[in-house]
Amino acid sequence: MLSPQRTYPLLARNQVRVSLRQMKSQQGWFMRIVIGVMMVYSAFILLTLGLFFDRFSAELWPEQTPVEIVNQSLLAAFISLFFIRFLFQKTPRMKIVPYLHLPIRRGSLVAFFQAASLLSIHNFYPLLFFVPFWWRYVVAEGSMMGHLMWIGAIMLLILASHFANLLLRGVLRQRAGLFYIWMSLFIATAFVDEAAGIGLQQRLSSFLFSRILSGEATGLLLLIAFTAFAITASTISLARSLRGSDGGQSAQARVRSFEVPEEWGLLGQLVRIELLLMWRNRRPRHYLFVSLLFSTLYLVFMLSSGQALGGVAFSALLGLFASGGFALNYGQLMFGWDSTHYQAYVSRNVAFPSLVRAKVIVLQLSCLGLFVMSLPLFIWLRPDLVALHFAFLFYNAGITTVLVMELATRNRQRVDIGRSGGFFNYEGFSARHWLWFIPTALPPVLFLQVMSSSPRLGLTILATVGLLGVLFTGLWTRYFANGLKSRKHAMLEGFAGRAG
Amino acid sequence: MPCWRGLQDVRVEMNKVVKKFGAKKALDVPAWLLEDGEVVGLVGSNGAGKTTFLRILLDLLKADHGNVRMDGRNVQQDAGWRARTGSFLDRSFLIEYLTIPEYLEFVGTTFGMSKREIAAGLEPFESFLPLSRIDRKRLIRDLSTGNAKKVGILAALFVQPEFVVLDEPFANLDPPSQIRLKQLLVEMAADPGRSMIISSHDLGHVTEVCGRITLLQHGEIKRDEETDAKTLEELNAWFSDEGISSAT
Repeated sequence: MLSPQRTYPLLARNQVRVSLRQMKSQQGWFMRIVIGVMMVYSAFILLTLGLFFDRFSAELWPEQTPVEIVNQSLLAAFISLFFIRFLFQKTPRMKIVPYLHLPIRRGSLVAFFQAASLLSIHNFYPLLFFVPFWWRYVVAEGSMMGHLMWIGAIMLLILASHFANLLLRGVLRQRAGLFYIWMSLFIATAFVDEAAGIGLQQRLSSFLFSRILSGEATGLLLLIAFTAFAITASTISLARSLRGSDGGQSAQARVRSFEVPEEWGLLGQLVRIELLLMWRNRRPRHYLFVSLLFSTLYLVFMLSSGQALGGVAFSALLGLFASGGFALNYGQLMFGWDSTHYQAYVSRNVAFPSLVRAKVIVLQLSCLGLFVMSLPLFIWLRPDLVALHFAFLFYNAGITTVLVMELATRNRQRVDIGRSGGFFNYEGFSARHWLWFIPTALPPVLFLQVMSSSPRLGLTILATVGLLGVLFTGLWTRYFANGLKSRKHAMLEGFAGRAG
Repeated sequence: MPCWRGLQDVRVEMNKVVKKFGAKKALDVPAWLLEDGEVVGLVGSNGAGKTTFLRILLDLLKADHGNVRMDGRNVQQDAGWRARTGSFLDRSFLIEYLTIPEYLEFVGTTFGMSKREIAAGLEPFESFLPLSRIDRKRLIRDLSTGNAKKVGILAALFVQPEFVVLDEPFANLDPPSQIRLKQLLVEMAADPGRSMIISSHDLGHVTEVCGRITLLQHGEIKRDEETDAKTLEELNAWFSDEGISSAT
């Protein structure tokens, strides 16, 4: 076995090489510039907020000091940051796998990659706000011990958040059922806290951090204990995951099948294959479950949160995602999901229009399915938004699916569904996919905002445009089929991993 | 060298096909024909260009120059040939999250077959892959390499296509399956309306099944001759010499 003294420099050197190569190979220049601008912009916003928080808070919450406001919002902020982390941050498991056959202790591998995972933008960006805020506002209050304990608590929160995220991802991969129970319980608790006006989370946050600032050690010890638990549990979870199988190939248990009428011919077979893809592969299945979760439990929470739903834009986003969430997320990789077996289609007598049509049917059915599931919630909690929900059903089925397919038919990145992990695995996604949300989500939101003085007319136009999109499905199916035909070889090469 | 019988019954025609990967020339075929009813074995060392040859033939890879015509029509412009072609190159031809019956039903449907026709089409292949004895709920991705390959070959053959393309069909198969496959290919090759191209490293099998051998080396056709009693011996000698020259 290689000694730790030799192991760590070796692994560090490899990681640096891998990171440099990834930076060079991943995106084109345009996307690099776009991402760079976005990163600089968000860093600037955070720094400005941290340095001049009093100017914003004086207008919004004039009766409270900046420190009071931040103290009572810290837990909520970290829960939100945790959600963002959960979407983007990866576990180091896949980085460890290539080293497992080498004479290196697993403990050393786990320790190294757990530590290396801390070099994440998610851990540095919050500091852009908290350090200047601490220097400008916290240091002005209380004792020096209190100041140090407060910033120490922030560091611990970042650490705890980092490792708790790794732990939760491990739970999702190994015991998805447990993960969904936790998620449901969390959303239900947050819903009750918000709906009943208890404000438990705000009070707890305020209590904890004001005590820490006053120099009381109990709160800090609690945070230390929680952080230690998150580090230990995520490390154990990671080590265990290396011993066992991925657990993603639970195919034997998922071979429930269904037939399609013979008269439906090849199109029926293709739709069936799409649905089986979703059911029998872990990552697509997670997209389905999370969409269902959003359109039911999370929607209850959002619809009952009257304050948050004050704006037209927010209502529009809710309408867009309530019926179109699955299409927006899953649909972007509609052809990427087929990358390992795309040749099974293009080497056979499968016409591109049939292939596109089958995928469109699945996406449109998903819009209808999510619409039907969430309609009772709209009627129960926000009857005034039912018309919006209807309008977005048509818009999503007729326009969102078109926009999503436009991106999907240009995808050339391989997605290995047989080996991919869970939902929050972004293999196959590029910055282009994230940015695509802007032209997909913004137009209807902006349009409804512009039409806010005549909301009925706005919704009617939105629904009509969507309906026209549905009626012209045949037309744009042919358009996408032609695009697929012209890009066939490039897609095959990309899906085979030979080109991007 | 070329052993074409005539141009009136050409099934596949390769014209001035060149394919490069970077600076390396992977394939350079000025002209190659496959006639109706012909069974051609494609042989060559690793990296000789066999799979590139087949992928360009099936329009899965774009040639830098030249074109492939099937039944007189450019394969890139007219996809009608796909309805008459059964092919299996590698595992990416399989949809791994389907069960074997589901996959075969899909393939049969692409050839316009009804469920009854699919069942009837599979019967002659029962000795190659006994579908009546397999676990019908097992997904293809859970099959061994050999069994997955059998599924792919079966999918290419049971639809009784006019043109068959197989890449290394004997590799990874157990000896009984190799023998059965050889018998099946010989039986299918007896149909005068069917053409086949089979790439293989197994010189014994390929010379038994194929009436003509095309030998590739460094992307170029070095030999293209009808098979006779001496072919196997000559190929063995060729590859022995090639092994010695590449080793030195």
